[in-house]
Amino acid sequence: MHIPDGFLDLWICALMYVISAVVIGYSAVKLKGTLESKQVPLIGVVAAGIFAAQMLNWPIPGGTSAHLVGGAIAGILLGPYAGCLSMASVLTIQCLVFGDGGITALGANIFNMGIVDVFVGYAVFRALRNFNQDAATFLAGWLGIWLAAVACGIEIGVSSIFKYEIETTVPIMGFYHGILGIVEGIITMLVIRYIALRQPDIIYAAKEVVA
Amino acid sequence: MLEGLKEWKGALIVIGILLLLTPLFAWAADLVGYAEPLENAAEELGAMEHETAIISGILPDYTIPGANPYASAIVAGIVGCVIVLVIGILVGKALAR
Repeated sequence: MHIPDGFLDLWICALMYVISAVVIGYSAVKLKGTLESKQVPLIGVVAAGIFAAQMLNWPIPGGTSAHLVGGAIAGILLGPYAGCLSMASVLTIQCLVFGDGGITALGANIFNMGIVDVFVGYAVFRALRNFNQDAATFLAGWLGIWLAAVACGIEIGVSSIFKYEIETTVPIMGFYHGILGIVEGIITMLVIRYIALRQPDIIYAAKEVVA
Repeated sequence: MLEGLKEWKGALIVIGILLLLTPLFAWAADLVGYAEPLENAAEELGAMEHETAIISGILPDYTIPGANPYASAIVAGIVGCVIVLVIGILVGKALAR
């Protein structure tokens, strides 16, 4: 879902940069002075884990595939603000060091995968965790990636290169990621279930009091 | 700076295993003709020819230029994981109590 250079019109590139910068700045302000010592390395460890997981392209026969994005995992483990910063660092390094995602589209890519996926994943988990933790984590992973894909579909759909065919881009992104998102949901569920068994205290979104 | 990582040894081992699996997944993805929905949308509307890369990066497409793509993917993965690990820790330290 990493948008390359050349796909988005300049105005949407600029708009997404501004929105992402504001959310990243707000996240940093909200976090300032609140992180406990245990959370400090965890931000880096989660970022490294998501980077490694994103390198594994799922070999699904039939022409349409994907890889884990992991925004919901970051949001659930770190909370929305630290999760957003963790994902933003991954996406920025992917762009600058590996050419994955265009520099002009970095604001949009951070918005889709580092903000929408993270905040939606966190919110869904928080809303449903007392009902059923596995259902909460699955839906957090699925809905987070699906809405990130819809956001991506809107951004390319309002760009001239895609002939302003938002009525085509959104259904394509939404349909395929709605199906592929099931895998994202299952992986999110399994990762959080495992961590909940081994080290439940590190799951930020499971805490009763959230700053 | 890295002293706090001892506690996360298990997680780092899992990350190492994921990186070792990278060539296998890359090979299998090549085998099935890996294409993401974004590429499908671009193909559908004739946008693929407009794809450019202003910055290709020092390890473009997670490979070392000229080296075996599958083997160099592991190196690219290690480089990327170390960089984001360090950035994450630095961000955390800057925002800590």
